Formats: sequence, C-alpha cells, structure tokens
Amino acid sequence: MSVTVAHAHPEHRPVLDRLGRVLEPYLYTAPAVILIVAVMLVPLVLGISYAFRDIRLLNPFSGGFVGLEHFQALAKDRAFLGALKNTLWWTGASVFLQFVLGLILALLLDKPFRGRGLAQALVFLPWAVPSFLSGLNWAWLFNPVVGPIPHWLTALGLMGEPSNILSDPNLAMWGPIIANVWWGIPFFAITMLAALQAIPRDLYEAAAIDGANGFQRFLSITLPFLAPTMAITILLRTVWISNFADLIIVMTNGGPADRTQIVASYIFTQAFRRLDFGYASAIALVLLILLLVYSMLIVLLRQAMLRRG
Amino acid sequence: MASIHIEDIRKAYGDFHVLHGVDLDIADGEFVVLVGPSGCGKSTLLRMIAGLEEVTSGTIRIDGRRVNDLDPKDRDIAMVFQSYALYPHMSVKDNMSYSLRLRKAAKEKIAGAVNGAAGKLGLEPFMQRRPRALSGGQRQRVAMGRAIVRQPKAFLFDEPLSNLDARLREHMRAEIKKLHKELGATSVYVTHDQIEAMTLADRIVAMNGGVIQQVGSPLDLYDRPANLFVAGFIGSPAMNVFEARYRHAGDAAEAVLGDGTTIRLARAYPVAEGARITIGIRPEHVIVGENGRGIPAVVELVEPTGFGTILHLRLDGVHIKAFSLERQAPASGAAVDIRFAPDRLHVFDENGARIEAGKAP
Repeated sequence: MSVTVAHAHPEHRPVLDRLGRVLEPYLYTAPAVILIVAVMLVPLVLGISYAFRDIRLLNPFSGGFVGLEHFQALAKDRAFLGALKNTLWWTGASVFLQFVLGLILALLLDKPFRGRGLAQALVFLPWAVPSFLSGLNWAWLFNPVVGPIPHWLTALGLMGEPSNILSDPNLAMWGPIIANVWWGIPFFAITMLAALQAIPRDLYEAAAIDGANGFQRFLSITLPFLAPTMAITILLRTVWISNFADLIIVMTNGGPADRTQIVASYIFTQAFRRLDFGYASAIALVLLILLLVYSMLIVLLRQAMLRRG
Repeated sequence: MASIHIEDIRKAYGDFHVLHGVDLDIADGEFVVLVGPSGCGKSTLLRMIAGLEEVTSGTIRIDGRRVNDLDPKDRDIAMVFQSYALYPHMSVKDNMSYSLRLRKAAKEKIAGAVNGAAGKLGLEPFMQRRPRALSGGQRQRVAMGRAIVRQPKAFLFDEPLSNLDARLREHMRAEIKKLHKELGATSVYVTHDQIEAMTLADRIVAMNGGVIQQVGSPLDLYDRPANLFVAGFIGSPAMNVFEARYRHAGDAAEAVLGDGTTIRLARAYPVAEGARITIGIRPEHVIVGENGRGIPAVVELVEPTGFGTILHLRLDGVHIKAFSLERQAPASGAAVDIRFAPDRLHVFDENGARIEAGKAP
C-alpha cells in the first residue's frame, strides 16, 4: 500500500475538507446532544416558560407574558402554603415508615429460613400493583360500608364507631400515607436486601469471634455498609413521593377541606381542574427548586459518607 | 495458651457428610497445619474449633473445657481469615482494638496491647489508615495484629496467605513462623499448599475426604507417607508410583512391573508372593544415567527450574519424573537408563496403605 505524504499546508486543503475537520467532534457528539435537547431540555424550558406566562385553556386570549405575577400570587396563596406543609408531612411520614419497615423486612429476609423464596416473592408483590388500583383498594378498605378496617378499629376500641378516616380532617392524611407505605415498602426491602447480601459473611464471623453481639455487629458492620445505599434510596424515594399524587387524587382528591392536598396534587388540581397551566407551572417550578436543594444536600451527605467509609 | 482436644468429630449437612470422625490432640504451644485438597474438610474442622460451624457429633475441648456449645466469643480464640475480614469502616488501630473495646478493657491496656502488636508487625506507620489504603501484605499483617492483641488461647488461620502473590507469601510465611517462635501460641493453620505445611508445621495433619490420613512431623510425612494419598500430596514434583507384583528374592525382594521389568527392593516385606503392591519413589531418588546399566527410558521433556532439572521420562508407557540438581541434563528424546535407590523405595499394599519392610509374612 502506498502512502501519499501530505505536503500541502493546512490552508491549501479544500474548504469542505477543513470544515469537516472542524465539525468532526461535534458530529460525533450530535446524536447524544440532540437526544438530550429534544427529550429533556425542550420540554423543561417550555414548562418553565409557562410559569411566566398566562396560560388558561378556557381563555382564548391568554398566553401573554406576565413576569413574576404567578409567584407573587403564590406567596399569598394560603392553599399553596397548606399544601407545602402537607407535602412535608406526607413525604416525611411515608419515607420514614417505608424505610424502617423495608429495612426490617430486608434484615428478616436476609436470614435463611424455609420458604424464603416464597416470602420474598410475596413481599415484592405490592410493587407490582398499579398505584391507582392500590389507592382504590385502600379507599375501600377504609370505607365502613365495604371495608373491614373501621370495624376492626372499633372492635379494638381505637375508634368510637366505624367511620371513614378519609373523611376525618384530622386523620385523613393517614389514609394515603398507609396506602403509600404498603405500596412502597418493597422498594426499600429490595434495595436493602441487595445491599445486605453484598456484605462479606466473614466480617460477621470475625466480629462474632471478636466478641460482638448481634446489635454490635449491626452497628459496626451492617450499618456502615448500608449507609450509602440508604442515603441514595431515601433521596430517590423522597423526590418520588413528594411528586407522587396518584394515591391522594384517588383516595381523597385533596380533601376534606384541603387537609390532604400536597403540592403535587395541588398542581394537578390547578392544571387539570381549573385548567390554569401557567399557575400550575409556577407551582411546579417552586417544587422543582425545593427538591433540587434537597437532593444537593443528600448528595453532599453521601459524598462525605463515602469519603469517610 | 492452651491445648486443643478433638474427639470423634463429625460434621454433616443433611445427608452430606463432610467429616467422618476426626480425633486430634494439639499440645499447648504447638503449630499444627491441616493440609489437604479442596473439600477435604480441613476448613470445616477449623471453623468448628472456632465455633462458626455447629458440631454434628463429637467433642471439642479447649484447655480441657468442652466448647461444643459455646459461642465463638466465649472460646477465647482468634482467627485470621483468607480474605482478612478487616472492618472496612475502621482504621487499622480500631480494627486491632475492636475486640478489647467490646470487652470494655481499660484504655491503657488497649493502647499497650495494640502498640505492642503494631510494633511486632511493623504496622506503626499505618495505624490511622483504612484497610483499603493498605496493600495485601499489610492487610494480612493487620489481620494477624488483630489476633495477637487479644492474647487468645489459640490462633486459628484459614488459608491466610492464599490471596498473596508468591513472593509475598514466602515472606509472610517466614513472618508467621518467627511470630509463632516469639509468642509460642497454640496455632492451627489450614492450607492446601504443601510447601506452607512443610515449612510452618510442628506437626502436619494430612486430610482427605473428611478423614485424617496421617499426623506427623513434616519430614515424617515426606519420608514415611502412611498411604498413597499422602505420598502423592506431599512433595513437589509428586512421588512416582507404579503398580507391581511382589516377589521374594532371598533376603530381599523384587517388584515386578506389568512389562516384566524388575525393581530390586532393599528388604523383604510382609506380603504374600505375587501380591499386588504399589511402589513409590520420589523424583530426586530416581538416578538417571547414560551408561546402559538400569532400566531403559526415553526423555520426553526437560524442565529446568534453575535450582535443578526436572526430567519427564517414559518407560514402556509409564511416565515418571526425575529431579536432579545437575544442570547438565540429557536432551529431550534421548535414550537414558534409570535406577532407583533401593532403600528409598516406598511400598504400599493393595489398599494403598504403607507397608514397612522387615517383618516376615
């Protein structure tokens, strides 16, 4: 094979050839960039732009730029502030209970016993149930006309007479939270079990010989090994659950008297019931920023933990 | 320090029997090596002494006390694992002091013990590091340090050098031996590496198929293997063995190979005329000559090791190996003749058990 030595200076190459060389790296990255821009950035920017525009589906003259008007209204919106508080309560209680129960379940499933395969399969079952179905299911369970739970609570003396906690303003939030805990435990159980099974067994044996009891072994081996997984799963779940309005929409629709209205369900109400997309986008933007701040904090925490570990 | 007595220990997982009745006495301060191929039950035995496996039947005593039902922590033993099993979230210092901290020992006592062990093992520069910031050899040292700090009744080692490269293994082997001399601690050491067993042990316990094959000093096992398994397992390159028939020849005897070749034995053995026997000879006791006196053989392969030369020879379909310190070896394909030093021949009976010479049948 003969090789032609390029004796010409770069300037003397044809223009197209030079252009090709300049563009080459961009062409290689183009597919990925185009995909990201089309799929992620365009909708995001459009959505954010709605927050600064007056978009109401029932008003054909809307669509104009309104600046920060939505945000000013939001600051005074009592319903929004209530939803913010409810979101905190809903997310905190759901994540905490899902995490604690999921971890306990994972620890139990990590020990060998007869029928473990079946138990594992059953534990993961709720995850496979569509969220709307589980919402309906739990709404019926809490309903004294068709569901057994109010009758059981009455029999136990925890409830004066069978009534629906979903219609009690002080207890209504517990309904979706319980449904959410039931539905979300498998997520924590699966991830924690996977992390548990990655811990080398001989560490436990070494600790047993060193004289550590079960609790000390949990503290000095299990917990440090699980910590990074815990941090990342709690982060993911928090973001998901604070955005997760399905169960609330199905079970209480934000009621009674907005006592179960969270920010996500409030966005849904604004956008699809009042058809005020501009205002809904402004609320969504605030939620996005809050979650971003929260995520940054957790990521920093995890980094610190990994550096230490 | 303590003695360890093992009486008729058996271990079964359901119908699967791992140990078939093992008896072993380990004296105070002794270094005993359990050696055997994978799956021979040596690690299971060690883990039963440690209390990590339940005893199916039999008795284990440490220092005279029955420990079958004691938790590992109450047996007062320390164990070094193949993977080192260091706590990854603790510094070297915390790893070493963990057991004493759990026992709520006095701060000064802990510091003294940890510093003492660190000094012995040359770990002082690494005390604040995490295990993952250490090399394999250093981790190995920390694992040993963790064991020393406890001043346990006995040390148990479960293939502690298997994860190290050859050079480091040799080095750590010497360190373990030195440490044992210094501490005089009762030690049980599991390995599948016969060189480790030979070099470290006061006594070797050779195991196969869940049964002890032979217990003895390293040279005992090398010079007088109790059966064909030990003969084949101890020594590298392995002992050559041939099927043969026994024939009386005056005061001495002969072994007749399948092709009629006779090999002279130094003495008579207590077996019947014509009995099937197996004779064995170590490669270094095969004398290779080129002067026509001996059994003719062909050189198939020459392996120079630098230290000496291993010759792979073939005589009538039988392969044998010869080792010599000579560097001048016959070339591959050369016709040679071989002789066996008669007093170096090992004789085994039909079942593979060693037969001692001398007694009349």
